[in-house]
Amino acid sequence: MLNRMSPANRVVSYLLLTVVGAVTVLPLLYMLSLALQTEAETLSADPVLWPESMQFGNFQELFERAPFGSFILNSLIVAGGITVAHLVFDPLVGYVFAKFQFPLRNTLFLLLLATLMVPLFVRMIPLYTMMSNLGWINTHQGLIAPFLMDAFGIFLMRQFIQPIPDDLIQAARIDGASELRIYWKVILPQVKPALAVLGLFTFVFQWNEFLWPLVATTTEDMRTIPVGLTLFNQEYFTLWHLTAAGSVLLFLPTAVLFLLTQRYFVRGITLSGLK
Amino acid sequence: MSKRYALTAYLFLLPAFAFFGVMYYTPIVNIITNSFRTGPRADTFTGFDNFTRVVSDQAVHNSFVVTLIFGAGTTIGAIVIGLALALLVDKPLRGRVVFRAALLVPYLTSIAIVGLLWRNILDPQLGILNRVLDSAGLPTQAWLNTNPLATIIGVTLWMNVGYTMVLFLAGLQGIPETYREAATIDGANAWQRFWRITLPLLAPTTLFVSVMMVISGFQAFAQAYIITGGGPADRTDLYIFHVFNVAFTARDFGYASALSFLLLLVIIAFTVVQLRIGRRGEVQY
Repeated sequence: MLNRMSPANRVVSYLLLTVVGAVTVLPLLYMLSLALQTEAETLSADPVLWPESMQFGNFQELFERAPFGSFILNSLIVAGGITVAHLVFDPLVGYVFAKFQFPLRNTLFLLLLATLMVPLFVRMIPLYTMMSNLGWINTHQGLIAPFLMDAFGIFLMRQFIQPIPDDLIQAARIDGASELRIYWKVILPQVKPALAVLGLFTFVFQWNEFLWPLVATTTEDMRTIPVGLTLFNQEYFTLWHLTAAGSVLLFLPTAVLFLLTQRYFVRGITLSGLK
Repeated sequence: MSKRYALTAYLFLLPAFAFFGVMYYTPIVNIITNSFRTGPRADTFTGFDNFTRVVSDQAVHNSFVVTLIFGAGTTIGAIVIGLALALLVDKPLRGRVVFRAALLVPYLTSIAIVGLLWRNILDPQLGILNRVLDSAGLPTQAWLNTNPLATIIGVTLWMNVGYTMVLFLAGLQGIPETYREAATIDGANAWQRFWRITLPLLAPTTLFVSVMMVISGFQAFAQAYIITGGGPADRTDLYIFHVFNVAFTARDFGYASALSFLLLLVIIAFTVVQLRIGRRGEVQY
């Protein structure tokens, strides 16, 4: 297999890959470098590609200048809460549409899929008004509530639950298992890999979410990391070493998850292309 | 199935009814009714005023054109570069798995990271790019002043091409090897195989990627909010950034709702047209 390409073709391919790889990775490495530089190095006329000595104190300084601990906690609560909600609701709704017959089933499923066409910006202003009426602006529940489930996650779970044989469900019913127990003991164990993909993707995307936390928070201590960091940068726009340190912290959990579960990420993206 | 199971089904769906009703369908109704109102709480009825105002609002026209160019650039770029990368990492090369993973990384970072990092890199004085160019004796450029829109298109592509690469790769791997082999035996060269076999069979993937990228292009916000502030001189005033400012700076929820509603109609129209064209382009061998 590996010998089928001509040597010239191979050299050109590797050359291209190296260039593309460098363009992709070098900016991120520079972010890490910046996070470890002194303030003087970030401002020096001679470009500093890597700091003379690594300034791990930058991270400490960041926590002193901004409530970064709160940012992290808020991000964990919001992204974690939404992920748990998705794992609870998406497969349950997907199961119903995969395995139950009931009046209006197709209409309801269509109404559900139609929400895929409704981007956040359409919901942003009405949700803002709704959350302020509830007194939920600048609260964790206000950040979580609009994202408890989504049509794509439900659709994905339905696709995975459909192939489970109906006989399995019937047998459990004959054995006298309750409907909730069947869902819990028969259905869910069969779709564990899909749940892992769903959980990973939901967490990473909510961890990174920018627009809604920007709109729905009003005080610094309620901001999530992406919003807190961006507004920190607006305030201290010369302290690039600290902004970079914050960026490294923001990316760290995703980087670790990606290193550990690369296969799931690629699989998840491929699944998003399912029709 | 008996009635009992229908009841179970509805019971299991209850949370979903509540959620999608309150968090999706109510907002859709509200955005439409708000479009005919004005004020910081959108509570004063003004008829079609918001829509007649759009017709003569130069700032909105500019913002729409900016967003169209941004959407076109990021969509075409993500298709061409994503496909080229997919073809590259589909080759039987050692280490291709590592490259595939590495190219996907920017897509997994937050737009906040992408925005802040590139604003720093591209800064006219402090930015590492100009400092490196300068020390290498090459001409420097104030990227975000001279070509702001092209620059944020480039930054967005840097973030997204890994994602479209993975999608195209899955599409490529779904094409049976026998088609290309048969074409080779018939004397088709690599160029012909790509245009006559690979590309037509990738049509469903290309359609999906273009629909996704158009939708996300129209929705881009943080590129303006974080990198350019919409400037210079509104040259990067992305539509959602404009709506955001109308809503939360000018505090006109009615007008902002009308603008959002119009964009939704535009996105739906684009999607329908793309699907029409895409379906016509599909082939079977």
